[in-house]
Amino acid sequence: MCEEPTWDYETLMPTLVTDIQGFSIHDGPGIRTLVFLKGCGLGCTWCSNPECISGRPEVGFVRNLCIQCGDCAGSCSVDALVSEAGRSPEIHRRRCNGCGACAAACARGALVLYGKAMTVDEVFDKVRRDRMFYEASGGGLTVSGGDPLLHPRFVRALFERCRGEGIHTCVETSGYAAWSAFERVLPATDLILYDLKIIDEEAHGRYTGRSNKRILANARRIDESGVETLFRLPLVPGINDSDKNLADTACFLQSLGPRARHLQLMPYHDYGRGKYDSLDRAYIPTDVVAPTAERLEQIRKELAERGIDCSISL
Amino acid sequence: MATLHEVTTDRLAEIDALDLTDRLRALREAVLRAPRMISADRAKLAMESWKETQGEDIEIRRAKLFQKIVENVPMAIHDLDIIVGRETEHLLGAPVFPDETGDALPGLWADDDSVGGMLFEGALSPTDKEVVRETSAFFRGQTAPDQVATAWEAVLGSWASDLTDAKGSDPSPDSGFYPGITARGRWELILSKGMRGMIEEAEAGIRRFQEMKETDVDKLYFWQAAIIVCTAMITYARRYALLARELAAKAGDPVRREELEQIADVCEWVPEHPARTFHEAIQCLNFIQVGRGLEAMYPLLIGRLDQYLWPSFEADMREGRLTLERAAELLGGALTLWGMKLVVPVGKTQRETHQVSFAINSVNLSGVDADGNDVTNDLSYLILHVIGLLKLSAPTVLVNWHSQVPHSLLVKGLETNYRTKGGIPLFENSDHVVASFVADGFSAEEARNWYGQGCVTPILSTRIDHNGCEGKGAVNVAFIFDLTLHRGIAYLTGKKIGIDVGDPREFGTFDELYDAFKRQYEYVVNRFLWLGTLAQSVEPKYLRFPFNSCIAGYGCLEKGQDIMITDADHTYGISDRAIVDVADSLMAVKKLVFDDRTITMDELLRAMDANFEGNEGERIRRLCFNAPKFGNDIDEADFMVREVGRFSGSVINAYQNPFDVPCKISREGLSWHYFGGLGVRALPNGRKAKEPLDDGSMSPMRGMDKQGPTGVLRSVLKAGFDESYASCLNQKYSSTLMRSPESREKLAVLTDTFFRNGGQHIQFNLVDEEELLDAKSHPENHKDLVVRVGGFSAYFVMLSPEVQDDVIYRSEQGC
Repeated sequence: MCEEPTWDYETLMPTLVTDIQGFSIHDGPGIRTLVFLKGCGLGCTWCSNPECISGRPEVGFVRNLCIQCGDCAGSCSVDALVSEAGRSPEIHRRRCNGCGACAAACARGALVLYGKAMTVDEVFDKVRRDRMFYEASGGGLTVSGGDPLLHPRFVRALFERCRGEGIHTCVETSGYAAWSAFERVLPATDLILYDLKIIDEEAHGRYTGRSNKRILANARRIDESGVETLFRLPLVPGINDSDKNLADTACFLQSLGPRARHLQLMPYHDYGRGKYDSLDRAYIPTDVVAPTAERLEQIRKELAERGIDCSISL
Repeated sequence: MATLHEVTTDRLAEIDALDLTDRLRALREAVLRAPRMISADRAKLAMESWKETQGEDIEIRRAKLFQKIVENVPMAIHDLDIIVGRETEHLLGAPVFPDETGDALPGLWADDDSVGGMLFEGALSPTDKEVVRETSAFFRGQTAPDQVATAWEAVLGSWASDLTDAKGSDPSPDSGFYPGITARGRWELILSKGMRGMIEEAEAGIRRFQEMKETDVDKLYFWQAAIIVCTAMITYARRYALLARELAAKAGDPVRREELEQIADVCEWVPEHPARTFHEAIQCLNFIQVGRGLEAMYPLLIGRLDQYLWPSFEADMREGRLTLERAAELLGGALTLWGMKLVVPVGKTQRETHQVSFAINSVNLSGVDADGNDVTNDLSYLILHVIGLLKLSAPTVLVNWHSQVPHSLLVKGLETNYRTKGGIPLFENSDHVVASFVADGFSAEEARNWYGQGCVTPILSTRIDHNGCEGKGAVNVAFIFDLTLHRGIAYLTGKKIGIDVGDPREFGTFDELYDAFKRQYEYVVNRFLWLGTLAQSVEPKYLRFPFNSCIAGYGCLEKGQDIMITDADHTYGISDRAIVDVADSLMAVKKLVFDDRTITMDELLRAMDANFEGNEGERIRRLCFNAPKFGNDIDEADFMVREVGRFSGSVINAYQNPFDVPCKISREGLSWHYFGGLGVRALPNGRKAKEPLDDGSMSPMRGMDKQGPTGVLRSVLKAGFDESYASCLNQKYSSTLMRSPESREKLAVLTDTFFRNGGQHIQFNLVDEEELLDAKSHPENHKDLVVRVGGFSAYFVMLSPEVQDDVIYRSEQGC
């Protein structure tokens, strides 16, 4: 008789990680480690992590770090890099396969590889190192991206490892994923940070590239699942801060169970701009200005009048 | 063990709601705007006295010198003063000390204003400059540092001055910096007995001679001197009382008139008698600090302020004699004086090591009592709050972390960090300090009453300490590593300071290199320590501090012995700096030359000798940068730091001083890393010649930690640094990490967790505008700078230029 293999397929399969950030203090309770996974079903115009949208590895070029040393010349095996000493390299995006050889050749860190294939074990080894800080602060792991729900097996396996050592688990999601992905992840999840971007379906499609039907349906099921959930609104002035969208959002939350009366506002910022440049992509919301403190307070009041208690993430 | 005093949440809310009074706001503006002046008055009086007392005993001469100064030095009460007393009549003024340091003011004999320019353009008026020159010439060659230099030269030739010229130590052995000894005021005693009590104690000593129980005449002179200086101090306070009465009579404003009358009443009572009120206690402290500051150049150390003032604060509040507002104003008045106390740097190195010429009047808060109970009280919070409102860069404030410290005090400390834009207060692990003292044979009861000198160096309240004295403040470990690679030849002077440990190109293994460094280190450090010991036997012949002995020296009045007379009850300490620079450098050589054989030793040395210039130099420098660095939770790099730290500690601990008291190692930083780097060539860690060394003694190389704050802390804990009583970890964060109460709460947990796991010290600095601008133009030096906002990941250097400008703008707005 043949025995079941003892190794676990999910834990061995690497997934693309763009960053592992310790001492994260804005995404879930306590002191957390944020793991950013690559790949997202949406393409929001204001996204601050553009390097996490594509599910494939990509090379970024940070111009202000380049000293035009020419060390990267000859490093590319698919002829996607034009480089010589005395000038900044150029990347032929279509040819580039994201192997990262050029980034490895760049000692200055001007060429960076977005997306390093890591196994659950490798990621977990980094995450568990901060255990003393999680324990003291009530923190833990938050998986972000991108949308981690595109990697449900990986996330589930990672979360189970965490639970085995008593580390709190949190997933940050756009909600745009198959329900089966949620079903896989939820049993090992302590907290979900769930984005509600725009309630109007047409507008949602315009700014994110996708209908929000699935997102709203998933939100209901999440709410019914009983897993602790914090709904979040990335507040982008001129796009989703209209009275109508705020009213719609409040209304939607009111239609959920009694626990869904809290909304966290995530004020728009343009810190991700440099990463667009590094990917040779245009930054679209150039005319959007971050909301002022007064405006945030006004929105907080408006939502409070509609029975929604707001916190603001700074 | 318990918390002795519960600070109520109502009281905390009351403290948090306090704002600066109009007077404090105006006082703050005034001192920040005031010209900084150098005054010759003290020097002139010192010279006159010295001429008058020729032939008398040194102790008596020094006492009469003090008396002459405090009875005659010009004084002023400024319009906004609520606590009175300054060393000069200026709002911001510094006396000079030719009687202690000789002719040691840099630039004094130059034709330009370079000597005055040290403090402020035009700080020394032409007439005052003439007097300072005259007095400097008068004392030239006769002072303790002069005599020490002569003794050194007699035994080691020019080695000591060669070491100074090569910038191999801090302060330089010849600098005359801290010719005195450090000890805090015995405030509990002073506040409860007053000067009168001290005088009675000295009289009792003299009676022992009359009763024929004592024969050591040095003791007789000491007790006579004690009576002279304590009486003179009473006279000094009375002069202020008289002045306040005169001003009151002339005051047009009835409120100010009454205030001046009250000031006069207080000055008539303290420091002669025990302080009866909070106001009297603070005024007494200030008089004593000024008195110390008129006698000795560098009288630091206030110590555990919230403890000394607590009895009078508590009684006044209970009896309804004091409001929180009034207490804050009195504290603010005193803290402004202590924070803005100026010192004129002297000697070859001091000017460079301590560019900011403020005395380090360190204030400690919280801590435990002799039994280990937490003694945090309302004043711990109130003092932090007032510091946060005043936003001055000094005094240094140390929050004493211990296992029972209230979490709310850590949070309050971080809020103060944010308000002062970082650095104040620093946090230090008392449990580690106490354990270190106990390991060296002191009792836990005595150890628990430590306080921080300057920044982190712990001193026992009950001991006189020699840290930073006799010219031996710190050993520059990086300098000695540099000597190792260059056969003992110093960079700046080309003179031989070390021994020839062989040509590094000939080293076949890493161990050969490391052994060479060890031999070099033992040679230089043993010589250096020996010079200090020699100085201890020379200095007391030429310099005494009777007033500081009465005030600060535990056992001085009892024994009849000046603070300068060294004995086995004193404690000794030294700082060995730049451990991390050396460990990272060793690591890079190990990796590049011996393990991976990426480059040869010859290639590396050539590149370093060319200061990493040229394409080849740049290439090798990048390899050096990319070698494993401390601060990234990489075992081999962290353990290298542990190894170098332990080795250095073992050399210092093995040195036998005459009294066989263990030498305590504490690695403070100050702004020394700039100076320390000046005499060091390019290093294998990628640092270029003359560039600053690592900031703080546990901080990773600038811009080289890339795992975020927790990664740094894990590396620090792994390296341990247990051989040191105290070390410095300076952390720089952008304001995004500190601006909200929630994030400060998390930083408090981070701090607490770090200490509970053995961390020694942490200090949070907000990255300022200047540094962000530098990060924008020199991103290679600031790769560690993290910007944190929700769900977003990026390093500052990767932000687009527009966004970088925005972050810079926000950092200045404090948002």
